[in-house]
Amino acid sequence: MVKENLCVQSVAHISHRRPQQEAGEICGVSFGSRGEVVMNDLQWIQSAKNGDEDAYAKLVRRHSGGLHRTVARILADDTEAWDVVQMAFLKAWQKLDRYNPRYSFTTWLYRIGTNLAIDLLRSRTSRERAHKAGTEHRLRLVGTGEGAGARADSNETDNVLQQLVGVLTPQQRSAFVLREMEGLETAEVAEVLGCSATTVRNHIFQARKALRRELRVRFPEYLPASERG
Amino acid sequence: MNCGIFREMIGSYVDETLEEGRRHWFRTHLRECPTCRESALREEPSLLFAMAPAAPGEPEEIEACAVAVMGRIRQDRLESRLHRRRRPWLAVAAAAALVISGGIAWRTMVGGGSGTLQPVVEARRDAELQSSPPTVEVEMAGEEVRVYQFANEADSDTAVYFIVDPALEL
Repeated sequence: MVKENLCVQSVAHISHRRPQQEAGEICGVSFGSRGEVVMNDLQWIQSAKNGDEDAYAKLVRRHSGGLHRTVARILADDTEAWDVVQMAFLKAWQKLDRYNPRYSFTTWLYRIGTNLAIDLLRSRTSRERAHKAGTEHRLRLVGTGEGAGARADSNETDNVLQQLVGVLTPQQRSAFVLREMEGLETAEVAEVLGCSATTVRNHIFQARKALRRELRVRFPEYLPASERG
Repeated sequence: MNCGIFREMIGSYVDETLEEGRRHWFRTHLRECPTCRESALREEPSLLFAMAPAAPGEPEEIEACAVAVMGRIRQDRLESRLHRRRRPWLAVAAAAALVISGGIAWRTMVGGGSGTLQPVVEARRDAELQSSPPTVEVEMAGEEVRVYQFANEADSDTAVYFIVDPALEL
């Protein structure tokens, strides 16, 4: 699984296809670049299934940061995202016996977390959405004379998304965040969302179209000078 | 050289027709080359989101999440254990309560007077004197304070426990 944006704790353990350049494996035991024993997700899951709570706590520490970032982008709410992350790990714990080790634990966990986030989005009342739209504030960009590329830093990306993501459906949000922001492959996004690759591409296409339209209306700073008028 | 290839790929990237390996290279170059980033954003503003950060999250928040999840798991486990153990005890207790209340009602109806209740009250006092006092334990778990109240001294598994959050404002 290629996840270029995943957090540092998880990225080394997600990819089964990632070449082992620095780490090594002797007699089934993985070693890190400094010779320390590295437990992978499957080993910790097996220990957790046998009742080792500490092993599960390590899985939570390894994956909660990345899952939180994804869920926070889908929900456009940092605090609510932590609640969803906690619920996802609890649900995963309750269903641990049903986890199929042939699949990546991350994909399985992200599927649980994304589904919870989508359910939450659907349950939000229109009144809450209206309140949020009314209280949002315009992003203030530093150095308006500079080019858009030079201004586009990392926090800015999340701030802009937070203000525009309301125009997307829950499925479009999830697909766009997983694919465009987290860098998952189409097949992985399809697995997380439980739909076909074609549906994922369609969600991405529609999301990009809507975001492009909103960016032109609300953030003309990102348009070429000729289009700003 | 790379920048020329990058610009040719913008359309394919947006159309989702780029092979995954090339897509990965495109995204890396988008982040690393300010000139290409500038021109790409002019052509397709939504590429802004491909530069989202990979920040792993604050360690304190991750630790707080782990503590909360594990606390809840332990609580659920204890609750389910208590639930399983309590069931037969509850059935016996309910049956005993029915017999006692039925007996009291019958005696009241037949015999009448407060004197008939006296033996029951005395029996209850005797039982209270004979039973051992409940065992209470206090445990510090991270920032939490847990107060356990065990059913009796002989059974260290059956307990009700409370988690006291020190940050809670009363």
